[in-house]
Amino acid sequence: MATAIEPPGTEHIVPIAATPPPHPGMSEDWLAVWMGLFVFILSFGVMFHADLLGWAVTTSVWTVPAKALAPASAVYAKLSPLVSLLATYVFLLALVLIGAKALRANIARFAQGFTVVFAVSYACWWLGSWAYIAATPDKRHALGIGWSLNLTTESGFIIALLAGLVVGNFLPGVSRALKEALRPELYIKTAIVILGGYLGITALSQQQLASKMFFQGLCAIVCAYLIFWPVVYYVARRWFGFSREWAVPLASGISICGVSAAIATGSAIKARPIVPIMVSSLVVIFAVVELLILPFAAQHYLYSQPLVAGAWMGLAVKTDGAAVASGAIADSLIHVKAMAAGLYYQAGWTLGVATTVKVFIDIFIGVWAFILAWVWSAKIEHREGEVHAGQIWQRFPKFILGYVATFLIVIAIGVMLPHMMPQVKAAMGQANIFRAIFFVMTFFAIGAVTNFRKLWQEGIAKLAAVYVLCLFGYIIWVGLLISWLFFHGILPPAVKG
Amino acid sequence: MPEPNIKDELQKMEGEYEPLLPVEYKLIWYTLGSGIVLLVALVLLSRLFV
Repeated sequence: MATAIEPPGTEHIVPIAATPPPHPGMSEDWLAVWMGLFVFILSFGVMFHADLLGWAVTTSVWTVPAKALAPASAVYAKLSPLVSLLATYVFLLALVLIGAKALRANIARFAQGFTVVFAVSYACWWLGSWAYIAATPDKRHALGIGWSLNLTTESGFIIALLAGLVVGNFLPGVSRALKEALRPELYIKTAIVILGGYLGITALSQQQLASKMFFQGLCAIVCAYLIFWPVVYYVARRWFGFSREWAVPLASGISICGVSAAIATGSAIKARPIVPIMVSSLVVIFAVVELLILPFAAQHYLYSQPLVAGAWMGLAVKTDGAAVASGAIADSLIHVKAMAAGLYYQAGWTLGVATTVKVFIDIFIGVWAFILAWVWSAKIEHREGEVHAGQIWQRFPKFILGYVATFLIVIAIGVMLPHMMPQVKAAMGQANIFRAIFFVMTFFAIGAVTNFRKLWQEGIAKLAAVYVLCLFGYIIWVGLLISWLFFHGILPPAVKG
Repeated sequence: MPEPNIKDELQKMEGEYEPLLPVEYKLIWYTLGSGIVLLVALVLLSRLFV
């Protein structure tokens, strides 16, 4: 029996024709903006000698379990690690419960679900930091171990994903109980808002590389909307005989950005809401498959080209959560393999490129939905005057505003007050702790909402066939080619080995 | 929300086959063509100026 979990990101997207609920809550997009900005602003306390987030817990590679956790700042060095962990949980619980109220979610169920999501996710993160799993070769001697899997602390992400998959596929009762707090899109979008500031630091340190990165973002728009979409639409319509109502959400889900694109373009052509939601279920499943395969393929084949790998993750992996998560995993895996080969790159660039590419693609979902709405209205169904430009803003993914804001604030400080950069870096370091926690919760939540049993549902084979053919036969390879064209030979800054 | 029956949905769709309209062909080929042109232009710009 399938669980009743809907694909992430579908909760607040209302088709134009549908009647809106009487008291709609805040969207997850806006909530992510406010939560991310709140953490970002608090982190700036260090610039004014007020260490407002220094108590947050950090996890380092460990051989003795008790020594794994510690407060982030030396100011709080005397704080017990468990108190630090508890404080982090209470802070995040308070933050998300205020958010849950704004979303008009069930507060009690949200609190219960979030407690489990946080606990399991952090346990996975802690386990993934075990030296035998995480330690890189250069750290083994200091840690007193003879071998390790070299997976870095980001292996906690994979463990969280696997734990989530167990819940989503074998424990449907638990999955239903956690449903209110299983919000991968909310967690990843909050993380992306925080990440904007961190990428601002990166961009300031390497302006030429950063401009290249943003140029690739422009190219990604062309690629997703003008090169992927028409081919997938053609294949779905011509080769598989899908109707327009199915082909549009399917093409958008496979080509652009998974769930939100499928729903936005589906409602643009007035497809029944159930169609993009069905497509979205498939999008989530295949995004997880990609997340489990592509970062490891990138490590194996692209360790000497980390920026190509990052762009590839952003272009090929669908859904914001899975794409940015793939970028994070690829970043760590490539870092380790490159080190083993004697190549010492600054970490974070693979993730930075993956995120930038994904964010650029997201920006144009509203525009593309508007174009399709106009074509369908004026040229296919001959309904005049039903499409207006306000729909572009209606479908604009608002969390991007938060990402741009944090990015520009850091850039502005770097340009106008360069002497403050050490403090800004320290502030972003603290904010980054929460970014990592939102990341690991995203992985668990993605796993828990992914139901592989849907693939056994009668009739799904035809839908899945289009997806498999287009994703693995076209998008992955064209995405790799385009990433290669833009980034081959361009490397992140070298660091001392 | 009740779980929809995808088999029924797809059977219903197959019973009402919609051939590709000329405007759909236009949409496909114009977008793909402009995508390829823009991509080549962006690659050149990227290599020459960025």
